[in-house]
Amino acid sequence: MQTEVTTVARGDGQATNPLREGLATDRIADPCTIVFFGAAGDLTKRMLMPAMWNLRLEDILPTKFGIVGFSRSPRSNDEFRTDMKAAVDQFSRSGPAKDPLWSDFAQHLSYISGDFNDRGAFKKLRGTLDANDKQLGTAGNRLFYLATPPSVFGTIIQQLSDVGLGPKDQAEGWTRIVIEKPFGTDLDSARSLQAEVAKVFDERQTYRIDHYLGKEPVQDIMALRFANVIFEPIWNRRYVDCIQITAAETVGVESRGSYYDNAGTLRDMIQNHVLNLLALVAMEPPISPSADHIRDEKFKVLSAVRPTSAEQAAQMTARGQYGAGIIDGKQVPSYRQEPDVDPNSNTETYAAAKFLIDNWRWADVPFYVRSGKRLARKYSEIAVTFRQIPHRIFGEMGDRIESNTLVMKIQPEEGVSIRFNAKVPGPKMHIRAVTMDFNYGTGFGVTTAPAYERLIGDAMRGDATLFTRWDAVERAWELVMPTLECWKATRAEDFPNYAAGAQGPANADALLAADGREWRKI
Amino acid sequence: MAENMTIHVESISDVAGILERLCHVRAGAGEMTASAVTMNFVVFIDDPQRREWVLERAARIAEKHPSRTIVLDSTGVASGLDVSCNKRESGGATILNERIDVGVATLGHATIVGMVRQLTVAGCPTILWWSGARLLESRTFSGLVELADAVVVDSSGRARDEATLRELVEFQRRYPHVALHDLAFMRLAPWREMIAQFFDDPALRDDLFSLTALEIESGSEAEALYLGGWLGSRISWEATDPRTFRTSRGETVLFTRTPRGEGRRVVRVVLTSGDSRYLAQLAEDDENVVCLSVEGKRAKAGWLVPLHAVDNTSLIERAILAGARDPIFETTLETVRGLLGA
Repeated sequence: MQTEVTTVARGDGQATNPLREGLATDRIADPCTIVFFGAAGDLTKRMLMPAMWNLRLEDILPTKFGIVGFSRSPRSNDEFRTDMKAAVDQFSRSGPAKDPLWSDFAQHLSYISGDFNDRGAFKKLRGTLDANDKQLGTAGNRLFYLATPPSVFGTIIQQLSDVGLGPKDQAEGWTRIVIEKPFGTDLDSARSLQAEVAKVFDERQTYRIDHYLGKEPVQDIMALRFANVIFEPIWNRRYVDCIQITAAETVGVESRGSYYDNAGTLRDMIQNHVLNLLALVAMEPPISPSADHIRDEKFKVLSAVRPTSAEQAAQMTARGQYGAGIIDGKQVPSYRQEPDVDPNSNTETYAAAKFLIDNWRWADVPFYVRSGKRLARKYSEIAVTFRQIPHRIFGEMGDRIESNTLVMKIQPEEGVSIRFNAKVPGPKMHIRAVTMDFNYGTGFGVTTAPAYERLIGDAMRGDATLFTRWDAVERAWELVMPTLECWKATRAEDFPNYAAGAQGPANADALLAADGREWRKI
Repeated sequence: MAENMTIHVESISDVAGILERLCHVRAGAGEMTASAVTMNFVVFIDDPQRREWVLERAARIAEKHPSRTIVLDSTGVASGLDVSCNKRESGGATILNERIDVGVATLGHATIVGMVRQLTVAGCPTILWWSGARLLESRTFSGLVELADAVVVDSSGRARDEATLRELVEFQRRYPHVALHDLAFMRLAPWREMIAQFFDDPALRDDLFSLTALEIESGSEAEALYLGGWLGSRISWEATDPRTFRTSRGETVLFTRTPRGEGRRVVRVVLTSGDSRYLAQLAEDDENVVCLSVEGKRAKAGWLVPLHAVDNTSLIERAILAGARDPIFETTLETVRGLLGA
């Protein structure tokens, strides 16, 4: 069917650019300045600046833009530009930055050195932003990106307000804030942080980033469910036996030992990434793709997840910590031997949980989730396992008839596979399971952009669809708190309880075995 | 890494059986064989100079997308009928591709079309990549189009750009149900993006509707016509002759095309309004960068943008994956028709 094309005869009051129809980018962000707090940190070097550079190469940045780095370490504008060039050269997916494009881009970069408690540095920031408005034409639009440890989020927000950089002080343009995860370390701290944020920014101006949501296959969950007629009718308790969500990594804690030892997998992965995936898989169809309609449905389904008491947590969850082992043919140390980790640490590097959703669609269907470090393979997926056929007519042949499974593959492969039973060619009626695969790279012939590029671009355009709203963050903390408290109160005497490179701890297998099920192999 | 095995076949009726056996062998002994074909990819070539170039790109596309590729070689270099099965490992999956090479230089158009009808896999979309010199004048082309869901051509880079465009205008009229993709138009996507950039700024947007002249310097006549046609079609200009558009307010816009630079390459675009000039031109020291600037009353300091030139294989792949008709291309071609007086 042919798409309708609009042509425009007059320019009067033209809100959108008619030349953009049919182009890859249908809407460019408003002119603006982005301020990266924590500009000397790893996240800025590895992810944020390469993302900005690639947005520039992809023509997604507006022509009038500024980037300001703000951090404690002293350096000049030129030194910052040189450092960022090195970061882009090393980490950008598009390879080393070349002149003259880099020189042109670098002119938009500036740097402010200062402690987050230093009022003078924030006043200087204000001066830089005002100058950008005049010299670069950024029109008073500001995007503040907190790429710092969560402990200083509140301080930065208060300083912005105190020097007149909050949205309420603004005569023209917009102000938004992007807050990196983790949003709090538990329910109370998240609520405290939210109270500090809400003093200055309202919910529409707040973008809580979870880079997992920016991954293309995660966004495809909604397309798969709501752009096809074949899945939604069977997407319920009548046909689905269980759903498994896996986010497995082969890496250890790397240089994040001190952070991770205070966080653990439940906080680092389950409370945010994994529960977001659960919400996308289990939510009801939104009435439109708008940010609020989608986020309303996500919140509704998280509200229907059955809370567990601290006592129930022991039966509904499993935890693990990796010991020494072999990954990719190389010996790796145990978690307790990692740098900046307590040698007697009780922190989990693996967490699994069973969630139940109390609504008509999902009553009694278990959602098993797991995430861990130093597992056999880097692999993330959502697997929907359907019920067995109600009556077997091929039983006399002794073939095993597998349950159908639909797998949404998130990483490293990106795609969808469906496993179903087929007749083995030949005179006899033998049944065997086969897999039908769809792969993004092959199917569309394109590589997908890293999540940060998508998310920063969305924040600049004011599209909050892929960012987490406060009500969902709060609900996710409520769901994991009983387990966090239970694990904090009880020392795991069996740690380390799985070897690096294994499938996970035995108690995780027992969690499913109690229901007569087993994990999919990682 | 792709591996290949080719067998010469005497009769067209033997092709299916031989392909099945080849795929079974290529899949590996003892493995259960499942061969999938997502499209019939029909490639026609008649220029011996470009034969290797076309075959190499066809092979690259077939490697990536499980397909039955049917190469119709009218160059006289090849004869007879060869079938092969190509095996490639990708992302843990084995991709098997079927390929049939037919030397058609001495065959009549009815025979060629009949063979293709017999060789294509029923139920799969058929994509025709026509690299032949003539389009509608060729009865083979007309016959193959009847079998195709999509046709890919390249009107750029040849001596008869304009004549090819005239044929495409006629093609669109004659075959409205077939998705037509011209690589010459697809190649312009970065230039369309850059021209759009000028008017992303709301302060400059109204000037788009006050343009009085458009100048394009290009090594390709087809691409210059397409770029002018695209701009005109987006803002309701009507082409009154090869050098003039008329706006919806009845004002005249002069259109100048100047041959300059290499084939398949736009070099410079200038849009003039009552008080400003919008310039986009290749950077002198880097042909992959374009300098944009605005002069005059709405002057804006120059800025650089990368020219995302896309290679031909990727363009063909995009055309295949797009599948459906492109309404932006179709309205552009309609405006080009006006420029050509066709």
